[in-house]
Amino acid sequence: MNLTPDSKVLIQGFSEFISATHIAQMKAYGTNLVAGVNPGSGGQQLYDLPIFDLVEEVVEQFGAIDTTIICVHPYQVLDAALEAIASHIRQIIIISAGVPPLDMVQLLRKAEAGETLIVGPNSPGIIVPGKILLGTQPSEFYTPGSVGIVSRSSTLTYEVAWELTKAGLGQSISVSIGSDAIVGSSFLQWMQILDEDETTEAIVLVGQPGGDSEEAAARYITEAIDKPVVAYIAGRQAPAIKNWRQTGNLATVIGRAPNFGTAQSKLAAFQAADVPVAERPSQISELLKKAIH
Amino acid sequence: MDLLEYQVKEWFAEIGIPVLPSQRIDHPTDLKRLKIHYPVVLKSQVHAGERAKAGGVRVVETTIDAIAAAQTIFNLPIWGELPDVLLAESKYDGQEEFYLAVVLDTAVCRPVFLGCKEADVDWESAGERMQHIVVEQEFSPFYARQLALKMGLQGQLMQSVSSVLEKMYQLFVQKDLDLVEINPLAISNSGQVMALNGKVSINERALGRHPKIAEIVAKMTSRHSSSQINGHLSNWDGLDMHGKIGILGNGTGSMMATFDLVVGAGGKPGICLNLRHAFLTDTLPTTFCDRLTKGLSILAADKSTQVILINLLGSIPQAEEVAKVIAKFVQHETSELTSQVVTTNSNGNKSRQQYHTPHVVVRLAGSEFNMAKDGLATLKTQSNALVMVENLDEAVAEAVRFTKPVAAKKRSATR
Repeated sequence: MNLTPDSKVLIQGFSEFISATHIAQMKAYGTNLVAGVNPGSGGQQLYDLPIFDLVEEVVEQFGAIDTTIICVHPYQVLDAALEAIASHIRQIIIISAGVPPLDMVQLLRKAEAGETLIVGPNSPGIIVPGKILLGTQPSEFYTPGSVGIVSRSSTLTYEVAWELTKAGLGQSISVSIGSDAIVGSSFLQWMQILDEDETTEAIVLVGQPGGDSEEAAARYITEAIDKPVVAYIAGRQAPAIKNWRQTGNLATVIGRAPNFGTAQSKLAAFQAADVPVAERPSQISELLKKAIH
Repeated sequence: MDLLEYQVKEWFAEIGIPVLPSQRIDHPTDLKRLKIHYPVVLKSQVHAGERAKAGGVRVVETTIDAIAAAQTIFNLPIWGELPDVLLAESKYDGQEEFYLAVVLDTAVCRPVFLGCKEADVDWESAGERMQHIVVEQEFSPFYARQLALKMGLQGQLMQSVSSVLEKMYQLFVQKDLDLVEINPLAISNSGQVMALNGKVSINERALGRHPKIAEIVAKMTSRHSSSQINGHLSNWDGLDMHGKIGILGNGTGSMMATFDLVVGAGGKPGICLNLRHAFLTDTLPTTFCDRLTKGLSILAADKSTQVILINLLGSIPQAEEVAKVIAKFVQHETSELTSQVVTTNSNGNKSRQQYHTPHVVVRLAGSEFNMAKDGLATLKTQSNALVMVENLDEAVAEAVRFTKPVAAKKRSATR
């Protein structure tokens, strides 16, 4: 992972999910945003960025790119990501929401083969408060500190960050892995990254119904994480029958428990791992303070 | 969203999955011009399951029987749904019946083949009899053969079943589906395979690149505008809990957290919508403001909505536009109420309770919203319909508070 201010960052495409304000914010935060790729606009300037038609042209001019932020129309995400992979970009953040799941299946096959880290789709990206902003996270809710946040929701990520900031708990790194049905990186991967991160002293995990990423993370916490972890699961009151675009329901016959993917299953997993679970976002800081001492 | 059987079978036929000769029946008299031979099976085209048990499937031997049966089926609601069309299909005698499916498993992020040598699968205990193969890499027919062999099939039957699976997969990918199911796949004495019934679930996220499917969906949604079709359409990317507090959030997590908080504070959530995506019925690209406008009108149109709780936090495009949309909504709703009160007062025959103007509680936070907040704050003085709060817990408390006194009044009125 290269999350330092000197890592070179590219933006592919511009859509409703990224505005001039976001780009200005990233630059003000010290992110080394070198260029944008917007087919058909090559040679122009957009939002004070030099624009190219192809990713390979950017690499030619600026050398290897560390991270790309993809904001194209959801139907063009697969193509944009494959283009980035072809240009050897190893960190891809997909801001666009609503990417067709079969496109994601195709992209993940490719990414896994080349060990490319994919965050999103439907993610506001990553922020290392005080250092670098990769995506659209509103930086005003953050302060530098030692709590790592990993979340599956976008808005809820800032909600939690802001609660922490108000309680005097700064953040080391905050990532939203995306809330589409199929996303690139998992909670488990991020627990590993946060565990290895020296500035991170405690971790907040924000989950929601669907899939089994939270359960896997809970098992991993028991096995490998010594840092204090506090969890929050949204949707515990939501009806369980609703599977929230997680179409894995039919495949639950494959040796899976009947409550697979429900908030209840996630709560039980954290209980089994002795991870305190907050009732509401405003309670997270309280639990965290208890866990740290 | 699920297609009807006759639509599924059209797709099966196009891609080369064997289906019986059949004919779409829009009216009982269509049976006079039947091109297929008797005995014929008439099937009600509804989304509801268990239609055979409910009497929606009849075998008929003659035209007279067929017309009578069709009249009955056309008037037989199944789980509240009346069929628009019937499917008349040749009768088929299978020796064996299998279950086959391709489904996208979001937990392993891959398509999965499912197969069982029984058609009436009991999902509770299917574990051991249901075989599956994960399509890990690019599809190749060997995945289909793997499943057929795992199901215990051999020789020619293994080949013909895997060829059906292969076509199911092609359909799955070509049309961006969540599920393709054949239940049952009948096997004749001679080992011939036949898809007797099938199910297809469309992925709404991909509708925009399948104009023909979007057309089908548009027709279905316009016909079943209320919460019909097994909830397949209405609760997509949202919830409808019939409570008094409608929720608009920007993201699934945010919407659900707000939902939980409302329940925790003793309130009853109503329709909850996620504004981060386009709605299912939007076939053209939308902006956040379009979705906010639409979300507000959906909530206002629901008579049980007494309060609309909007929870927006940072990173919303067009913050100023958002404020304008909210302001317009509040002012419009209020002026509409005033004009209605005036008209009905002159008629004097309608009671005041018939209008409902939802209170709007707006929770806004973030630097981009500062300007928006100022704009809305001036509105606040003109009407008490709008409340602005920055703290989420407080916003929820406000929203719940609005529903309480009214509820008390209603109770005393019915006493």
